[in-house]
Amino acid sequence: MGARTALATGLGRLAHWGLHDVLHRSASQLPGRVALAVDPHAIAGLAPKLSQGSIVVCGTNGKTTTNNVLACAMEAAGYRVLCNREGANMAAGVAAALLPGRSADWAVMEADELSTVNIVPALRPRYLVLLNLFRDQLDRAGEIDHVQDTIASALAASPETVLVVCGDDPISMGVALRAREAGTRVLAFGIAEDLRLGADRVPEGAFCQACGAQLDYDYRTYAQLGAFRCPRGDFARPELDFWATGVRVGREGVSFDASGRTLPGKVRVCASFGGVYMVYNLLAAFVAASLAGVDGQTFQRALDGYHPENGRLQHFVVDGREVVLNLAKNPTGFNQNISLLLADEREKAAFLVINDDFNDGKDISWIWDVDFERLAGAPEALRVVAGGHRANDVQVRLKYAGIEAPIAGSVAEALEAISDLPRERPLYVLTNYSALWPAKAELERMGERHE
Amino acid sequence: MSESASRTLRVAHLYPELLNLYGDSGNILCLRKRMEWRGIEPDVREVHVGDRPSFSGVDIAFIGGGSDREQRIVCDYLLEEKDELAAFVEDGGVLAAVCGGYQLLGHSYAMGDQVVEGLGLVDLFTDHGEPRIIGNIAVESRVSPQPIVGYENHAGRTHLGEGVEPLGRVFFGCGNDGASGFEGCLYKNVLGTYVHGPLLPKNPGVADWLIARALERRYGSADLEPLDDREELAANEVMYHRLMAGEVEEL
Repeated sequence: MGARTALATGLGRLAHWGLHDVLHRSASQLPGRVALAVDPHAIAGLAPKLSQGSIVVCGTNGKTTTNNVLACAMEAAGYRVLCNREGANMAAGVAAALLPGRSADWAVMEADELSTVNIVPALRPRYLVLLNLFRDQLDRAGEIDHVQDTIASALAASPETVLVVCGDDPISMGVALRAREAGTRVLAFGIAEDLRLGADRVPEGAFCQACGAQLDYDYRTYAQLGAFRCPRGDFARPELDFWATGVRVGREGVSFDASGRTLPGKVRVCASFGGVYMVYNLLAAFVAASLAGVDGQTFQRALDGYHPENGRLQHFVVDGREVVLNLAKNPTGFNQNISLLLADEREKAAFLVINDDFNDGKDISWIWDVDFERLAGAPEALRVVAGGHRANDVQVRLKYAGIEAPIAGSVAEALEAISDLPRERPLYVLTNYSALWPAKAELERMGERHE
Repeated sequence: MSESASRTLRVAHLYPELLNLYGDSGNILCLRKRMEWRGIEPDVREVHVGDRPSFSGVDIAFIGGGSDREQRIVCDYLLEEKDELAAFVEDGGVLAAVCGGYQLLGHSYAMGDQVVEGLGLVDLFTDHGEPRIIGNIAVESRVSPQPIVGYENHAGRTHLGEGVEPLGRVFFGCGNDGASGFEGCLYKNVLGTYVHGPLLPKNPGVADWLIARALERRYGSADLEPLDDREELAANEVMYHRLMAGEVEEL
């Protein structure tokens, strides 16, 4: 570590101590900002303290869960792991997470897609896991082609990094195609069977990344993911290096058999949460953990003990009513949440909260790409309430989907609005990014937490 | 209304698989519902890549926004239909074009440093500007009793030919070129604009203007039953007031 990085580390840790120990505030970003201000190359300077190296997880949806499951599994295998668990996924968040301790075995870091270009060339990870790419925050991130370009150039600047990519996602495979041409080693994972699920809407045009033709599918799992091929034969789902079969998705969670070319046999992976998207997240975490030498049993043991309290599918009980909180920040995420909601056969209520802060994207036109129509048609079985800075827009969207939704200013008000419903009916609170933390804080105040 | 029950309007949604960037399907849904609620039968037809669209039976054509690449593909297809589209426009056919679709209406538009030939339906052209214009927008327009509110996101600067009427005057945001104070264009029954969000649901006046123009052309009368627009108008008003009160920080 150079003198400058050492100074940056010292000042960053001081900022961490001041925030965390003195002020009891979140220290997930600022210490990293301090460190990067002193030494712009702090990430590269800190990387050598990792005896085994690092793994970076990126993708539009599922980064935080995948990254945290992976970090838990690596810790369960006895590694000392540095991880940006709170999801601070730009360069400052990664720098902050690298500060603690003299040394560690691995860094497991989630990276915002556009920040990969700042993080990957500095950290030089052994693996970059690319989960999926969906349309998200067009005002901030720009069009999806730009996101693809950014990740491809991040990989080009770190040629030894192996790309672990979702082979079922044509848009992620567009990145892989370019990376492979530039010499990057690519490993693909995916679901190797037809789940025969009712196909949801594809918010992305599923087009050939080579010639632009509309892709054909043997089957789709969700959104644009599935066994795709270009009718002209120049682009198709690759042969999978790691794959899931025997997939079960239900209200009680997901399970599947994970297999790989380099693995001795199948490993059954079970989790008590999530829908089909979670199969991909867990498969990705499993693949990365395997590549880092974690065995299947250890992975499952870590998963059994994984109870995140980060507002992702977090359960609460308020006055005897079950409340499920989850993040839903783009059309694909929302559509997957609607699938989860419909998989719960109980009568229920939903509170849909959309903010338009900077972190959310200020343009919320994407709510018209969400299939709210799937929730219509059974008003007695599903009561819907709208919330957030853009509650009125949500209300209009729902009106045009045939759903009448009153507006509530908080989770407490939403609970009040459904107080005439029997307690056995759960409330699903689905929020986008900046609305998640206030909702979580409110639920923690009001409720007993429950696994 | 027995008379309205027999009315049908055909809506052509051009290339939804390519031009669907900003919730544009919401515009079609909005037109469909506002017709249905009045007993007008919507006959919505999607025009896909490879189709040879005919505009002879079409009452309202809609074209949305896409990425540069997608916009270029659509432009190539539509150039082949240029004469038919021009005849449709000159005959008073209703055409609503948003974002990239709006740029296609002109003589040319910019793709990076390249100048791409447009459809030449309206006397306007678009060149490239820095920085990209991204943010909320509110426009005062004769086609809507309320301010038109939405979001704009474009690198292009659109310049109207002399005598081309703008859609309206910018209250908040940038509009066509960020300098003239105007946004969009109106030419015969063509409405072009950068406003998405999507455009129509929160601006029911604009949706009804399009429907009324189409009824006028097909049935000779533009009678539109008023609808209960409380939710739409509340969403419009809340956003307009947030913008004018400076409660929404721009990027």
